[in-house]
Amino acid sequence: MIGNDVIDLSLSRRESDWQRKGFIQKLFTTKEQRLIVNNSNSETIVWLFWSMKEAAYKIHNRQTKRREFIPQKFECLILTETTTCVTGIVRFLDMVYYTKTDISIEFLHTVAVTSLNDLEDIIQIERRGIGKDEHGIPYLLSAQNKHQQAVSISNHGRFEKVVLIKNKKVPSI
Amino acid sequence: MNKDELIAKLKVIIKPYTSNIEAYENLSENTDFISDLNINSANLVDIVLDIEETFDILIDTTDMQRMLDVKTAVAIIQSKLDAK
Repeated sequence: MIGNDVIDLSLSRRESDWQRKGFIQKLFTTKEQRLIVNNSNSETIVWLFWSMKEAAYKIHNRQTKRREFIPQKFECLILTETTTCVTGIVRFLDMVYYTKTDISIEFLHTVAVTSLNDLEDIIQIERRGIGKDEHGIPYLLSAQNKHQQAVSISNHGRFEKVVLIKNKKVPSI
Repeated sequence: MNKDELIAKLKVIIKPYTSNIEAYENLSENTDFISDLNINSANLVDIVLDIEETFDILIDTTDMQRMLDVKTAVAIIQSKLDAK
C-alpha cells in the first residue's frame, strides 16, 4: 500500500498561517507540538509532519474507504534526518506506516508505505493511464484494464507527484 | 439563527480557501469541501478555527473528524449554538 503528499512551500506560506492561534493545537499531538515549538526551524517541521500525516492518511483512506479529518490521530516520529531527507514512522491506532520525505527549498515530498522494504522500491511516473474507483482512489490500469496497481497522486501548487511501488509482475510502463 | 442564515455565514468563511469559483457560487448543503471546493486539507483547520471565532463555539476533535461538507458543518454549528 502506498500514499504520498507533496507540499509547495511557497504556496503553503501564502495559504496557511501555521502560527495562527489554534492551528498547531488542532493538527498535531502534544508530543509533536513540543517538537515543533522547540525546533529552530519550526516551519519545516510543521510541513514535514503534515505531509507525513497526509501520506499515511491516504493509505488509511485506501484501506478503509473512510473519509475523515483526523490529523491528531496520526502521530509522527522521526527516525533519521539529514537536510534533504527524513525517514520516520506514522502511527495510527495499531497501524504503523513507514515514511520517507525528500526536502528541498521549494518543496517537501513524503511517501508512506505499509511495508518498510517497499520504501526502496518507490518509482515516480507520469500521470497517464490512471483510473479511479467509486471512492476516488486511483489505480494504474494495464493495457487490458485487467490488472490494477495502486498509485498515489499528490498535487500542490507547482508540483505533481505520482508514485507506485515497483512490481516486476506488472508489465513495464 | 435559521439554516439559510447559517449557510450564508459559512459561505463567507469558506471563500478565501476555495479555488473552485463555480462550485462556490453554487454552494449548497450537498457541497463537499475537498472534492467540490478543492479546499486544501491544511485549510480545513482554518475553516474550523474561523467557525469557532465567528460563532463563538468550540469544535473538538470528534466534531472536526466529520467536518468535510456543508451539511455536516451546519449540523455541528447548529447543535453547538443550541447547547449554548
